Amino acid sequence: MPTEPGTGGTERFVPPRIDGGREVLPLASRKPLAVVGMVILSVYILLAAVGPFFVADPVATDPANALLPPSLDHLMGTDNFGRDVFARAVHSARLDLTLGVVIAICAMVIGSAIGVVAGYWGGAIDEALMRLTDIVLAFPGFVLALILVAVLGNSTLNVGIAVTAAFVPYFIRLTRAQALSERELEYVDGAKLAGNRSGRVAFIHVLPNSLQPSLVTATLVAGWAILTVSGLAFLGVGIKPPTAEWGVMVSEGARDIDAGHWWTSLFPGGMIVLASMAFHFIGDEFGGREA
Amino acid sequence: MPALLEVRGLQKTFGRGRGALPAVRGVDLDVERGETVGVVGESGCGKTTLARMVAGLTRATDGHIRFDGSVLDGSSASMENRRRIQMVFQHPAQSLNRRMSVGAMLAEPLRLLAGVPRWETTDRIEEMLGLVGLDPAFRTRRPRQLSGGQQQRVAIARALMPDPDLVVLDEPTSSLDQSLRGRMIALLRRIQEIRDVSYLFISHDLGTVRRIADRVAVMYLGRIVEIAPTGELFDDPRHPYTKALLSVAPTMDLDSARERIVLEGETPSPTDLPTGCSFQDRCPLVFDRCREESPVLAPVGDYREVECFAVTHPSHS
Amino acid sequence: MNLLEVDGLTVGLERSPTSILANVAFSVPEGKIVGLVGESGSGKTMAALTMMGLLPDGIEVRSGSVRIDGRQLMDPDTMTVERRAGDMAMIFQHPQAALNPTMRVGRQIARVFSLQQGCGRDEATSLAIEMLSRVGIPGAERVARAYPHQLSGGMCQRVMIAMALACRPRILIADEPTTALDVTIQAQIFDLIRDLVEETGAGVLFITHDLAAVAEMCDTVTVLFGGQVMEEGSRDDIFRRPRNPYTTYLLDSVQKEVDPHVIEAGVDFELVGCRFGHRCRYAWEECGGVPDMFSVGAGHRSACFLHAMEENGAGAP
Repeated sequence: MPTEPGTGGTERFVPPRIDGGREVLPLASRKPLAVVGMVILSVYILLAAVGPFFVADPVATDPANALLPPSLDHLMGTDNFGRDVFARAVHSARLDLTLGVVIAICAMVIGSAIGVVAGYWGGAIDEALMRLTDIVLAFPGFVLALILVAVLGNSTLNVGIAVTAAFVPYFIRLTRAQALSERELEYVDGAKLAGNRSGRVAFIHVLPNSLQPSLVTATLVAGWAILTVSGLAFLGVGIKPPTAEWGVMVSEGARDIDAGHWWTSLFPGGMIVLASMAFHFIGDEFGGREA
Repeated sequence: MPALLEVRGLQKTFGRGRGALPAVRGVDLDVERGETVGVVGESGCGKTTLARMVAGLTRATDGHIRFDGSVLDGSSASMENRRRIQMVFQHPAQSLNRRMSVGAMLAEPLRLLAGVPRWETTDRIEEMLGLVGLDPAFRTRRPRQLSGGQQQRVAIARALMPDPDLVVLDEPTSSLDQSLRGRMIALLRRIQEIRDVSYLFISHDLGTVRRIADRVAVMYLGRIVEIAPTGELFDDPRHPYTKALLSVAPTMDLDSARERIVLEGETPSPTDLPTGCSFQDRCPLVFDRCREESPVLAPVGDYREVECFAVTHPSHS
Repeated sequence: MNLLEVDGLTVGLERSPTSILANVAFSVPEGKIVGLVGESGSGKTMAALTMMGLLPDGIEVRSGSVRIDGRQLMDPDTMTVERRAGDMAMIFQHPQAALNPTMRVGRQIARVFSLQQGCGRDEATSLAIEMLSRVGIPGAERVARAYPHQLSGGMCQRVMIAMALACRPRILIADEPTTALDVTIQAQIFDLIRDLVEETGAGVLFITHDLAAVAEMCDTVTVLFGGQVMEEGSRDDIFRRPRNPYTTYLLDSVQKEVDPHVIEAGVDFELVGCRFGHRCRYAWEECGGVPDMFSVGAGHRSACFLHAMEENGAGAP
């Protein structure tokens, strides 16, 4: 007996289907750069997580073995205090990566929350917040961070706060722009009718839907933050010697280059470049909407 | 007993000054308990603005809406009235939060409007999914995992969740495939039988309205030009605009031998309306009075009202 | 005499065994309007884009031929359509999006004349204005100087038609030309297309999901589902004597009372056999294969294994 379509008679005809369907290319060929970035980053994370347990004390000086070139004993050589460059670079990875990621997350959380308020409510609040971000964005991030650390005083925490503050306006802008278009969609009306008051509409409904651009930018910002932090340290602002930090190491090692001791600055400098590149590769390739 | 919904002299003008756009220009409309009133009209006739004002999403410029005896004041509808008047939108994909599961979306009106404690929501949600013809397993799905028809069922379920007395349906079938429209209408009718809910059904599609409405109001440029019981309106349209609209609506009935009345020109811009009747430039029955005076809805027969001098005062034309 | 003949058109996603169009064939005779009707996912727009050589990236033509006046347009090596000016022109669902927003509409039409007939700027402009008045635009000279955003949707569609006609096409492909327009404007555009067919003898491929529009406009109809041709025949055949279970299902779902609790799934493009197989009330083992087109009357053909059974004298189940 024929049955009504879809009502599920007991002996339903089950049509055969193609096996497999569309062949999905591996991520490596769709987004090769992102995979390179992820590989680099995983190595860094591994170094940062377990490295410090295996390498020498990063601040232990040994004048007898100063300025040794790279060898099996000292993979990246030693600096002019005889400290192991590799040990310092590994310890520094933990500090710099943590700072980069924490700064990016903090800036995103604060910036998106402010951005959704500006974008969803609009009006005078929006006007005021936008003029404020205009002022902040008028300074290059690096200069702003420099000024803030100068005001707040040298400490790792203050560097974190200063660099975060320098990046918050980007997230305000991004989230606001997205929230402005989101608030016109019907689901916002739907949420109001479901009994959400405006605070809940903004933070429970509009905010999660406005985060996509910020998430991508956060990856890029993590890279920038590492550059900014080590750049400040290079200038002698923020993180100070003898702390193991890439910027500090480059700054200290720069004096040795003239004497032909290239390894003390080249290795930490390379670590900075690779780390921020890795973040950029990932952010760039996931910037387009995932296919 | 007064009607469940009484709309009187409702007006909405967007903007001010020279560019002001009068979207709704004085609408009177009643919806009784358990009744379905259809509102049809072409784009720009103000039907969606009317719907949004009734649902409390847009504040009226003038006039008032009385619901079950109490006056609704624009967008700051009290939570109790919000619970009792719900709305379903045109684009199901857009009207659902794409980052929320179906269950979470359906739980919101229950908890926020009906005050149902969290532990009781699951049963109520599964019961409601059953009512709209979806499997309880849909609770964990996200909108993008559903077809358009299924999304619209979720939207209907959300609107019914707080047990409303009136549901405003704004073009609920327009973005669905034709084969699904009939099914959606049948679903809405069955829900009405079970839940005794009233519908204000907005659509540009005459065929759809004919299948669900008890009474139909035809809007043109922000005003209702004719309102009548569905059968009467479709069998014997009186306003010249209704006549034209019905005569050119495509039909699958190959035997229908109707005279097509193709209106000339286009709907004039609402920002620049002529004195008198707003339909005068396209109307085949136009005469002097139409250019001087604006007609108002006047009864024709027992249940019908028409806003046209040529129909209500035929001797003058 | 068939102006356009499409045969064995198979189109699929790159690097995937699934096909979006499977062995699609239809033809458009001179001076006739042929409807290509189907719901979302039926492949009707994909068929038009293939013919126009406008397929998006990631989609490839696997086989098929497209002939105009017997001349093969499909390059067998590259599987792309090499069409000449004057073969085909297309009008789209959203005319405002299809026009160049930064150029006056008169200039856009004039450019077609300059490119095709090599006429000078002044001559092209006057031809453009003439074309605009031919598609029923009052005050053509004024409209020619307008930008698309200054015109209504109906006006823009007329401009699109004028631009399409400037190429003097043998075939006009109209992809949902009135879906975004109001009923009264749709009636005007329908009249215009009918008049033009009568005047120019061009063939029209009328693509739509709207069965009522097909019943109004078309001489013959091809019904698509999931990229497969289900049934083709004259308008009377399809609407009065449908033979394919899908066509019957489609017509019933629009015209008859339907069960609201049947859940509609989307098209499953991974089915090996008949794409309607999993929803068809008659489906049995045979339906795991692809049915041929069976002749079920003069000019009336349907793809279903039921017809094979009838031919073998087994009678319908």
